[in-house]
Amino acid sequence: MRTNRRLAVLAGSAVLLAATVLLSLAAGSRGIAPGHVLQVLLRPDDSDASAILWSLRVPRTIIGIAVGAGLATAGVLMQALTRNPLADPRIMGVSSGASLGVVAAINIFGMTTLPGYIWFGVAGAALAGTFVYALAARTRDGASPVTLALAGTALDASLTGVVIGVLTVNVKTFDQYRFWAVGSLSGRPIEVALWVLPFMVSGIVLAFGVAGGLDAIALGDDVARGLGRNVGRVRLTAAVAAIVLTGAAVAAAGPIGFVGLALPHLARGLVGAHHRWVMAVSLLLGPTLLLGADVIGRVVVPPAEVRAGIITALVGAPFLILLVRRGRTVTA
Amino acid sequence: MKTGVPSYPVAGRVVASAGPLTFVLRRRAAAVFLLLLALTAVAVVLSLGVGSTFVAPADVVRALAGDGPFTVVVQDLRLPRIVVALTVGTLLGLSGALLQAISRNPLASPDVIGVSQGAGFAATVVMSTDLGAAWLGPFALLGGLAAATLVFTLSWRYGLAARRFVLCGIAVALATKALTEIFIVGADAIDGQRAQIWLAGSVAGTGYPEARILLIPLLVLLPVLLWAGRAMDTTALDDGVARGLGVRVTQRRLLLGVVAVVLAALAISQAGAVDFVALAAAQLARRLVRAGRPPLACSAVAGALLTVVADLIARTAFAPVQLPVGVLTAVLGGPYLLWLLVRRTP
Repeated sequence: MRTNRRLAVLAGSAVLLAATVLLSLAAGSRGIAPGHVLQVLLRPDDSDASAILWSLRVPRTIIGIAVGAGLATAGVLMQALTRNPLADPRIMGVSSGASLGVVAAINIFGMTTLPGYIWFGVAGAALAGTFVYALAARTRDGASPVTLALAGTALDASLTGVVIGVLTVNVKTFDQYRFWAVGSLSGRPIEVALWVLPFMVSGIVLAFGVAGGLDAIALGDDVARGLGRNVGRVRLTAAVAAIVLTGAAVAAAGPIGFVGLALPHLARGLVGAHHRWVMAVSLLLGPTLLLGADVIGRVVVPPAEVRAGIITALVGAPFLILLVRRGRTVTA
Repeated sequence: MKTGVPSYPVAGRVVASAGPLTFVLRRRAAAVFLLLLALTAVAVVLSLGVGSTFVAPADVVRALAGDGPFTVVVQDLRLPRIVVALTVGTLLGLSGALLQAISRNPLASPDVIGVSQGAGFAATVVMSTDLGAAWLGPFALLGGLAAATLVFTLSWRYGLAARRFVLCGIAVALATKALTEIFIVGADAIDGQRAQIWLAGSVAGTGYPEARILLIPLLVLLPVLLWAGRAMDTTALDDGVARGLGVRVTQRRLLLGVVAVVLAALAISQAGAVDFVALAAAQLARRLVRAGRPPLACSAVAGALLTVVADLIARTAFAPVQLPVGVLTAVLGGPYLLWLLVRRTP
């Protein structure tokens, strides 16, 4: 595929993202005209619009960008690592591991702020990911796409059950957790964005670092070794990056599904299989999808808001069915 | 087991006849059935005794007979709820056994293939609009049937590969759940909360009216279920062999599938989504009986037993807070599903 075409895709994605960002700043229960948005962004004043924009919509949009980029990149990494077209932080149970980590941080260790949650989220994600992979590898047909997806979904069901159970029993945790509002971008102070960004940046840098290695691994472990790659190290780095990205994303916004599943496929369709390009496009379109879902959630049943994670599930489920029906990816 | 009629020359089976009817009894299945029944009775007595006032088992039995100081607590306060739990469990167990037999897939169950979520969505719609509570049951039934039809249609591709079927079910379930949530958010706060509690799957506050709604259809379907017990044996055969025996495989499977979905949707319409009971009950019964497919009667009793025990734990473990029974079954059922995956040959 020509580089020109890839650059065009990249530029188109960037324009799409910019438009979505503008929409995310403008839309809501109190709409602000896009022209006005730009004006207030450049010169904050004392108007209501300025207050709404700077205290509510800017943090929300920044978190949306960070989480969307993180989840999409995590999806690319997981699909490459497991050679599994169905891999996704939510489907693999990694997200629910992270949310259980956050609940444990609140309930057992009395954490009250995001800096505390993040590490627990990352730890939970690591445990759940390792568990699902080890479990699926033990089945008769190894870590095949569908087995991995089923094991992840089963783990997701029981961990979510534990989370709900803890919340029902412990009122204080419930109060904080509700504030943390699962799968939503709203109601977070700007500090959350600042705390999440370093995790996202380091995860994404790691991901780009192993992109070449993942290309080699896609040809098979032996070929990758023949090309002089240290397969074990590439795998480990990619796994660490995926877990850091998922853990931080979940700590910031709760478990959000399907961004990590759909985006890599879309990106591969647009720019081919090179991981560096796939990651670059996912990095732009992931935030576009998540912010788009967030905007739809704001306007679909006014004045109430639907969590972004719900809209992504609604959009993503048909996509999952499509993938499953394509016999080539799922033979079992 | 001596029955007075000449015994069949098949190991482990006995032919019994009562008047014009003749039955083939599987010895092991009969023993398991009686054992599960006894365990269920014990669980019921225990569940009737435990609560804010403890009633000793002997007193429970006396109270059930209408005697002693605890009659009100046992008969009026605790028994109705437990009867609902028993009935819901029975229906779910039957539904799971039927679904697993016709799809030849131990992972198939109403909550895995979207029936629960479809019924839940329809019920939420009823609760958040002006339709009366009387419509709840019928709508839940329709919702469950619609979701199941969707899953069957979507996963059909030169036949029904087990895992594709399950994964399509999961996708439909997720989408339906998302739709439900949008409805709840859009509904007025009280309706929304009512729907949320209902969706968690709970038998708290239910009683004989709910049990009646479940038991009447069960009685109506009883002849079909008796037939199904035999029909399932041929359905479990290879399609070609079954056709060779003159069985209309597809129609039979379709009929049994509809019965299974109706049973599950009924249970869910009264108690909300009680996850994994159908899955676990059928598998438990199959393993105990060592049969090739889940045995119907044993699955029904196993379902009742699981639901009563789960409700007992959910009610008392964190007293005074009562967990919805559905939360408990999800926490216990997930690991079980994982274990099935690890053990099972694909």
